[in-house]
Amino acid sequence: MTGPVPISAWGLAGAAALIAINGGLSLWLRLRLERRLLIASLRTVVQLLLLGYLLVPIFAWRNPFLIGATCLLMISLAAREAVRRVGRSYGGIGRNAFFALSLSATVTTLLAVTVLVGVEPWWEPRYLIPLLGMILGNSLTGISLGLDRCLAELDEGRDRVEAMLAFGATWWEAARPVAAEALRTGMIPILNTMSVVGIVTIPGMMTGQLLGGTPPDMAARYQILIIFLIAASTAAGGTLAILLTLRRLFDSEHRLRHDLLVRR
Amino acid sequence: MTEVTDCQACAQTARGLTCGVYFCAHGLTRRVGERVLFSDLSLTVNRGEVVVVQAPSGAGKTLLLRLLAWLDPADAGSVELEGVSPPRMGVPTWRSRVVYVGQRPAPLRGCALDFLREVQGFASHRRGRDAVEIAQGWGMAKENWQQPFAKLSGGEQQRLLLAMALSQEPDVLLLDEPTSALDAAVVDTVERTLRGCTAVWVTHDAEQARRVGTRVMELSP
Repeated sequence: MTGPVPISAWGLAGAAALIAINGGLSLWLRLRLERRLLIASLRTVVQLLLLGYLLVPIFAWRNPFLIGATCLLMISLAAREAVRRVGRSYGGIGRNAFFALSLSATVTTLLAVTVLVGVEPWWEPRYLIPLLGMILGNSLTGISLGLDRCLAELDEGRDRVEAMLAFGATWWEAARPVAAEALRTGMIPILNTMSVVGIVTIPGMMTGQLLGGTPPDMAARYQILIIFLIAASTAAGGTLAILLTLRRLFDSEHRLRHDLLVRR
Repeated sequence: MTEVTDCQACAQTARGLTCGVYFCAHGLTRRVGERVLFSDLSLTVNRGEVVVVQAPSGAGKTLLLRLLAWLDPADAGSVELEGVSPPRMGVPTWRSRVVYVGQRPAPLRGCALDFLREVQGFASHRRGRDAVEIAQGWGMAKENWQQPFAKLSGGEQQRLLLAMALSQEPDVLLLDEPTSALDAAVVDTVERTLRGCTAVWVTHDAEQARRVGTRVMELSP
């Protein structure tokens, strides 16, 4: 197996210079995105370099506690990010997102490393951390889209939900259409990915493996595995987050507690 | 702040006895933020009675109906139908017997028939009369039920939702300006259909209050 050709600092600097295209466009069309562009670019560099350097000792020391702590940190950051993208909020949304995301991503990742791939030992960081990261990154998109839709339906569609309650619906009879709509929205990105993958796009993980020298057929197998894991985790995490949210926003006496919703 | 006490039987309720009135509320209190919308409000409705609620805007008429339908939590007080409170009866069952029809028709997705079918699927649903037939009496054709609900006029939407409420043969109707978007001729037929119902009826229209009300209750801001 041959590794990828090393990228020099000059190579990176050249790629960064390409961002000047975005900056130029922003100035020319007065998009006023220069500031955000600069900050986003700096964040990309700092975050990824930091990750690269942090993973060096984690991969080298292979300390299970350090690996566990890293996973926990990743899940917490993902949950925070999932909630941050939602246009509305309620007390406990962060806790619910963390619970949904940690349960779904942990179960699917563990299933992958222990059974489906069968890594020895199962906590081998070179497998565990990238797999978890990819599952988290995609599940958080699904969860945040689902939550956003769920809360929007309860806020903007309040009259519709309450009309059902007023005609004698139980909280679940009134909430079920909301849950369905929210889950459908959350599943759209992964379903779109699944239908065009390999035709229009070569996904990031497969690209990485190809550059790393993995035979294409093996890289394809890994990609299939990860996509199914992501789909499962998104569905499970999304459902859980939406159900926890609905349970919180309908009280035990079948009332929609619109007063608990906060717009941001 | 409002204080309306027209129930002579409150003392009985305080002693843990039901007051014997068909539909009643006792000691309802509701604050919105710092503001007390009403405190210790009581209301009784006998079978077949239409109590008209009149009050200036913002006095909490809609909120009162929502409290009676158990759609909003009250800070204090109780509501009973034949001596049974909503939690004891089961809230969905309560709402299928004490039906609230909001002032603004809900923006239903699809057509009214879809919604009617959904309502008929609720565990608490009581199959009574045919909603389509009721609405026919108010000038609504069968086809209107299959048109996109959003394309109907406000008055048409109002009639379809009211017909759905009536089709459950509720024991008590909670009506919030139910004819506000209808023209005079239709108002007349709707009022005739509703005659004999037990209702708490919110209206701005003093003429209508005189026509339909057996009793008037005034809320003051």
